[in-house]
Amino acid sequence: MIHIEQLRLKFPGAEKRLFTDVSLSIKKGEKVLLLGPSGCGKSTLLQVMAGIIPRSIDVPMKASKLHIPNRVGYVFQDPDAQFCMPYVDEEMAFVLENLGVPRAEMEEKIARMLRLVRLRLPHVHVPIQTLSGGMKQRLAIASVLALEPDVLCLDEPTALLDEEGTKAVWETLKEVVEDRTVVIVEHKIDHILDFVERIILFNEHGEIIADGGTNEIFSTYRSFITEQGIWHPDVWETYKKPKTAQQPYAHGDVLLHVQSLRGFRQKEEKIAVEELVIHSGEWIAVTGENGAGKSTLLQSLMKLIRTEGDMYWQGELVKHEELLYDNIAFVFQNPEFQFVTNRVDDELAYSFRLEKRPEHEVAEEVERLLKRFHLSAQRHLHPYQLSMGQKRRLSVAASVTEQHRLLLLDEPTFGQDAKNTFALLEWLEAYRQQGKAIVMVTHDERIVSEFATRRWIIESGKLVADEMIAPRMLVRGEIG
Amino acid sequence: MRWSIDHRETWLHQTNPTAKLLFFLPMFVVIVFVHNPNVLINWTIGFTALFMLFSGYRMKHMLLFFAPFLFIFISTSSSMILFGKGETTWFHWGLIHITEESFYRGVHLGFRTLLFAIFGLMFALTTKPVLLFYSLMQQAKVKPKYAYSFLAAIRLLPIMLEEFQTVHQALKVRRAAKAKGFRGKLELMKRYAIPLLSQSIRRAQRIAVAMEAKGFTNERTRTFYYEVTLGRYDVYLFVAMCVIVAVGYYMADVFPYVAIKDVR
Amino acid sequence: MQTKGLKLTDVLTTVVVAIVFGIVYKVWGPLYYAVKPLGLHLDQLIYGMWFIAATVAYLLIRKPGVALLAEVAAASGEFLAGSEWGLEVLFYGFVQGLLAELVFAAFRYKRFDVAVVSLAAVGSTIASLVLDFYKGYIDQLAWWNLTLFIGARFIGAIIIAGVFAYSLVKALEATGVTQLLRPTTKEDYDSLDK
Ligand SMILES: Nc1ncnc2c1ncn2[C@@H]1O[C@H](COP(=O)(O)OP(=O)(O)OP(=O)(O)O)[C@@H](O)[C@H]1O
Ligand SMILES: Nc1ncnc2c1ncn2[C@@H]1O[C@H](COP(=O)(O)OP(=O)(O)OP(=O)(O)O)[C@@H](O)[C@H]1O
Ligand SMILES: [Mg+2]
Ligand SMILES: [Mg+2]
Repeated sequence: MIHIEQLRLKFPGAEKRLFTDVSLSIKKGEKVLLLGPSGCGKSTLLQVMAGIIPRSIDVPMKASKLHIPNRVGYVFQDPDAQFCMPYVDEEMAFVLENLGVPRAEMEEKIARMLRLVRLRLPHVHVPIQTLSGGMKQRLAIASVLALEPDVLCLDEPTALLDEEGTKAVWETLKEVVEDRTVVIVEHKIDHILDFVERIILFNEHGEIIADGGTNEIFSTYRSFITEQGIWHPDVWETYKKPKTAQQPYAHGDVLLHVQSLRGFRQKEEKIAVEELVIHSGEWIAVTGENGAGKSTLLQSLMKLIRTEGDMYWQGELVKHEELLYDNIAFVFQNPEFQFVTNRVDDELAYSFRLEKRPEHEVAEEVERLLKRFHLSAQRHLHPYQLSMGQKRRLSVAASVTEQHRLLLLDEPTFGQDAKNTFALLEWLEAYRQQGKAIVMVTHDERIVSEFATRRWIIESGKLVADEMIAPRMLVRGEIG
Repeated sequence: MRWSIDHRETWLHQTNPTAKLLFFLPMFVVIVFVHNPNVLINWTIGFTALFMLFSGYRMKHMLLFFAPFLFIFISTSSSMILFGKGETTWFHWGLIHITEESFYRGVHLGFRTLLFAIFGLMFALTTKPVLLFYSLMQQAKVKPKYAYSFLAAIRLLPIMLEEFQTVHQALKVRRAAKAKGFRGKLELMKRYAIPLLSQSIRRAQRIAVAMEAKGFTNERTRTFYYEVTLGRYDVYLFVAMCVIVAVGYYMADVFPYVAIKDVR
Repeated sequence: MQTKGLKLTDVLTTVVVAIVFGIVYKVWGPLYYAVKPLGLHLDQLIYGMWFIAATVAYLLIRKPGVALLAEVAAASGEFLAGSEWGLEVLFYGFVQGLLAELVFAAFRYKRFDVAVVSLAAVGSTIASLVLDFYKGYIDQLAWWNLTLFIGARFIGAIIIAGVFAYSLVKALEATGVTQLLRPTTKEDYDSLDK
């Protein structure tokens, strides 16, 4: 079905080859998972298998033998980057038109595909823009199935989805693939372990370390997997979290106090919260479904969108946004927007330079961050050239500095391998110990239960729960 | 793209987009070779009536669309009125020199712009972009790769506007949204332009990849989800236009508003 | 993997970038009209913005036909966004793009420097002037006024659609996105074996 021998691939201008003589073959009907640390080249390899490289993306590569099937369906990570038409039915029809399906048969086929992926809509002529992330991904799957592909390639199709959406998408996939060949790239593998039968394991240099049955790989290569920092089913059981995690912070004081906050998008009220108090030393996890308003809440707290209501920063009424920007760090959900320079190391140095720190200190800090976030080898790249996980790490590392006392992070761990997730969490924990407060949007229940001290649940624009997870902090005002 | 504003679907909406384009575009050339302001005034009245009666939009909205054009009317004509050449002086003060000839020429220019604007509005408000490009593929044999590129780009527009907001926010947060001095301002402009442009290039790439992954090739042997045909409404439109043009021309000769017949 | 003509990626990228500029074109209209009644043709200094899609797209994609396509696409974008000029912009876009394209063709699509794009900007300016000549009776303006008009338009075009466009693309090249657009070189392939 797929047969690759001695694949070599190197991005133009890169120092090293990404792949040196990689060979693999996949038989018809196999369900294969590509597993490896962030940045090892999984997405790139998947695109080679789908024929996207070099047909649509021109990257220098060669292979002594390369056999790939004609019809490959590919589901991309970003729900917004795979549609070319404005409406659901038009997007589905686009595929059918490509195949030359007669017009009379289209309507029925479209309805059948949408039923297959359980995308229930009032009617088919619905603007794609109004669908939630999970629905968009199911539409993507439906349109790919309409292709009747021999092979299905999935590159982290659920990275941006909530728990519900993730489950629904995988369940849909399991039902529809039948005897098709499936190749998956995914970090969070809990939902698919019962589905994939074979794992190809990579190390960080893009070499295949092992290739075999799912159970066999997990039992034989367990230490290697842990060492490379790849997610596996009981990674949390073996992980030793910092002793300080979830311990009350001794000297809490009120950082941000918000009263009757309302956030608007295009005149529409998208979030409304009666009262919020954030103390130093807190780690607040914000959870909720896709589209519930988590990102909107964070943006309102930073006054990035139009808001109403009173905000007090350490007791002082916030009149100018500058007061917030000086004290609060903000990490956007889409990392690509955050970058203001042309190189990874400049990006990390940017905030330090803004603080006018001496250049040798800046260099030291940057070295430290590069190491901690495993970006040393990528230091000369443009931020946009990084892999998904690398971008995410960089955007977090670059926006947080000493002067900030409150960190607002919008899904800082998506698309990340285990090693980097833990490194990031520990780094944040160290900040918390210095008396900073962390507000973090996440879909990962484990992170909430292992690290957060408090949780906010958002549901259709409202804060529906505000619960303590760790013992109540000692707050100065309360003991005095 | 204002078709999202609520409106009735009239026969003008049922006309074939390519045909409509073929009727309207040559009018540009025709109008440019008309030098008699009387004719232009009559045509403006005629086509405005056609638009107001049959576009299916509410009067309130149509007046709103028209507002900017009055401003344009004034600013287009003013330059010619104030500084144009002419014999019969009405007013002279420093560089400003208003003559009878330049005045009528200015007004003529104003009506010309107004007419172009009406054709533009009439087209934009009664044509769905998707059908326009489907029709261009079917009637004008435009290659699919061009048509679908336009369709994809139109889909991206709102996403890109959102991105602009996000870039603005991100720059604010990182204290990079302000700059002093001319160089700083230029630098700032780039700080906005670069992420937006590179982001749209990336998006375009990704969508092209996704389209090819969905089996898109540039062959003409594709089928079409929407079949766009020519019909009787196209004939109506053509006849209506001919009538307005002919009657306007005739009336200008018989009942002129102003004596000048050639503004050159 | 060089194929004949424009690939889907080329077309799509050109059109998307051009439509971004189409929005700029649309916003430029009111701006232009706001300075216009001054009569001294300060407005002409910013006219050059309406030529920028052609030069930027050409510098990005570096292939025949791109300049024309970009300018037409940008004009369509401007039109769809509700341009004050209506369908007229399509004519202007087509003719401006065509002359820019001819300039690039005259250099056989081998040069990508400031001089060439400035020349293309000059080409587009001439195109727009020809149309203005028929449409706007500009020859009927007092001579001093006409000189100011034409001079300002040329200077503005060279600054905006020539120099600024060039520096914009240089900055974009630093981000590495352009790598995706350019065909790979033989050296890139050779380095696979090192
Ligand atoms: N255009 C480019 N130029 C140079 N290097 C690149 C380019 N694109 C990707 N890379 C590098 O290639 C490597 C592999 O990227 P790829 O996206 O395949 O990783 P991945 O395994 O999918 O990682 P992740 O799990 O984080 O998504 C990364 O280290 C990345 O920095
Ligand atoms: N830029 C925008 N303009 C208008 N509406 C928006 C915008 N961004 C989000 N929305 C809408 O606001 C609501 C809340 O969206 P928000 O992005 O805050 O959700 P979220 O909880 O962060 O979801 P996710 O888990 O997908 O990130 C949704 O209904 C969404 O459609
Ligand atoms: Mg990846
Ligand atoms: Mg969000």
